[in-house]
Amino acid sequence: MAFRGRGRGRGFGRGRGFTFAKEEPFILFPDITLPDIKNVEEDKTLVIWNSRLQSFWKSSLYYLEETTSTKNESADIERYSDRGKPKSKSRRDPLSDILKMTPDLFPLELIKGSKMGQHRKVRWNPQSDAQKLDVTFEKFQKRDEKEGMGQGEDEEEEENEVEEAEEEFSDDGDYNQNVDFDDDEDDFNMDNEIDRDEEAIY
Amino acid sequence: MATRYGIQLAVHLISSHFGDLVAKVCECLLRKGTLTLRDIIRFTELSAQQVKNCLLVLIQHNCVQAFSTVEDGGLSESRIITQYMVIFNNIIHRMRFSKFIMIVSQEFDKECEELLEGLLQHGRLTLAQLLDRANTDKPEGKIPVVHLGGDRSRIHVRVLKSGFHRASCGLLCLSGNSFLMIGLSLTIKFVQFVECCPAQDALRESFNRLVNAHYVERCPASEPLLELKTDEAPSRRGAKSAKIARVVETTEQRALKAAAPMEAKRFLVVTNTGSDIHGKNTVDMPSNEITGEKQMKDEYMQLDGALGGAVCEKEVVWRANFEEFVLRLKQKVCVASIRAQYDDGAGVVLSAMLEATRGTERKIRGETSGPLSLNAIFEEVMKTEEGRTMTLEHVRSSLNQIGCKLDTAGPDQSYSIDLKNIIDTAQRDEVELIVLKRYGKEAFRMFRLLSRTRCLAETNKISDTALVDKKEAAKILYKLWQDDNVHMVRPTATSTSDKDLCLWTVNKDTLWKHVLDQMYHGALNLSLRTLYELEQEREILQLPREKRIGELGKRYERLRRVRILMESSLMKLDDSIMLFNDF
Repeated sequence: MAFRGRGRGRGFGRGRGFTFAKEEPFILFPDITLPDIKNVEEDKTLVIWNSRLQSFWKSSLYYLEETTSTKNESADIERYSDRGKPKSKSRRDPLSDILKMTPDLFPLELIKGSKMGQHRKVRWNPQSDAQKLDVTFEKFQKRDEKEGMGQGEDEEEEENEVEEAEEEFSDDGDYNQNVDFDDDEDDFNMDNEIDRDEEAIY
Repeated sequence: MATRYGIQLAVHLISSHFGDLVAKVCECLLRKGTLTLRDIIRFTELSAQQVKNCLLVLIQHNCVQAFSTVEDGGLSESRIITQYMVIFNNIIHRMRFSKFIMIVSQEFDKECEELLEGLLQHGRLTLAQLLDRANTDKPEGKIPVVHLGGDRSRIHVRVLKSGFHRASCGLLCLSGNSFLMIGLSLTIKFVQFVECCPAQDALRESFNRLVNAHYVERCPASEPLLELKTDEAPSRRGAKSAKIARVVETTEQRALKAAAPMEAKRFLVVTNTGSDIHGKNTVDMPSNEITGEKQMKDEYMQLDGALGGAVCEKEVVWRANFEEFVLRLKQKVCVASIRAQYDDGAGVVLSAMLEATRGTERKIRGETSGPLSLNAIFEEVMKTEEGRTMTLEHVRSSLNQIGCKLDTAGPDQSYSIDLKNIIDTAQRDEVELIVLKRYGKEAFRMFRLLSRTRCLAETNKISDTALVDKKEAAKILYKLWQDDNVHMVRPTATSTSDKDLCLWTVNKDTLWKHVLDQMYHGALNLSLRTLYELEQEREILQLPREKRIGELGKRYERLRRVRILMESSLMKLDDSIMLFNDF
């Protein structure tokens, strides 16, 4: 009880010869002497492949996110400003879609109770449905390189891919948000549902 | 070697590829060692289902290996428990997947490259999954159908390399819009892209080529059972030589050995039609592994008999064989090192030797290349562009120059080279270069003296031999000692004059480990900084191209340059990491 309250207790008073450590500002990346960048051999091919692999894994079903159950969330009013926030429900396919859950491939204790077969067609390219940031970046890289090398035919094909990527990235707002728009489970407008049911049918 | 920063780098890689949950489980295994599922749940404080999913992902991507052991239950019956061990090297290999793809793209065609990319993306796939993946909508899956002017007949054109198209009917097509067909000149009216499934046979052929080259292998067993290891009583007590020669295998090493498929089965592709092994597999395999097609198939059937029938080819799971890729990179480093040390001719000769003995070298560490006869080496040298002008005498002198061992026991003189020596020299040069850049020329001279003599030397003697002032020498040696680059020994002083006596040496094992840890630290910092820069400019990346003008365009260009520079530096640093850890 004697130590309740804020901060100062016995032994921390001024003038007793006991001082705190000197506070220094936290710098995430302190400046250091770097070598000359001209000596660095740029390997764009490796960078592009790396980028492709990274973006694949980020959007694949192997990237496990912490998902919170919607039932545990407080029944708060859904606000307009919440639209831009990431949804807690994961949109990734389950692992059982691609992993063959057989004892030949995985230990028995890990696959007990899981679905043995694959019922859905595997989406080999998850980025086709998602925003392709890095892919677009690397496509532009390739196009810039090939412009410099004067390869016309491939550039045209790359442009087609890029245009396809840009077309797939579309921010249509409400139109594409039908998936999350539930008519049927509106806890706060049950009366309206009843009204709709009672509408006259012509 | 899982050092302190090596573990942090591994965790960072897993986190950026698979998320924080998987990284948490991975870190738990890296720091605490082999654990059971229950222990992992307890230490990570995650739910059972989350831990199981994380382990499934890690096993799928060859980062974790499970194995079973029999636990003595004491009064109760013994039971089988499953444990999970992390494979540190496979996690670090994830950083260099692009180099593996580069190797295949240089040796084979685009299809092989894409098959390998699929295996690296997914960790493990069956052949059916690989074929299915190749048949999904990809730009390369579409072929241009060229409608020629004035003639409605269609000619299918397959896009090969850029700027050059060859038609399936044998037309030779020029770049641009002109085609030449048996003396007639036709122009392209328009090009229509149609969906086309890549020929299944062509894909299988590409897959077989990868397996034949040992870049793809069968996956290990999911849960091998390790037998209880009883304490071996030495037959002759006091036989020190026997104790020194015996290498103690850890449980993890035994588990990996037990899980690995048999060598005869590891690169075996069995066709579905009931016919025997694909012809090429038997031709390319080394003679000591060829037992005849029928016999091999019988062995395969016997091996799989316990699993309840023949395993269909399409159900066999394949993965990239990291060992082979590391070996190729090691050979490249050896050739580059010889080329730098001697001349291009020596590099060509060594490259030819390594190419000729491809397939026979299995172990990576402490392996010699060869033996090969001089004529065989000369034939291989003649196949290369640079070696065409070399004479037999030139090849012989290059072989002597690079330190090849000559074996005159057989009918022909055969040459072999110890790659370990080349790697040791490269490692030593790398460390000396680091000391030179960090501490200066004088420190470099003293360090070089110590690393090459490998014995304890006194301060004054070092300063005299390295031509360094005595006071400076003492200061520099203390600085090197503080940073763990040299080892100091103070003998017990017997008289007052010996009080300041210090003996110095370079402890190679400790220092190499320390250097490797510093390299992991550097790689981690580079990765984190790259991620930070991309995160800072995330909004710029999301902008469409037409909006990136003016100031935004400049920021985009800067980000692009930064990314290329940093990732290229990371790849270069990774070469050094491989030199100390994998070669």
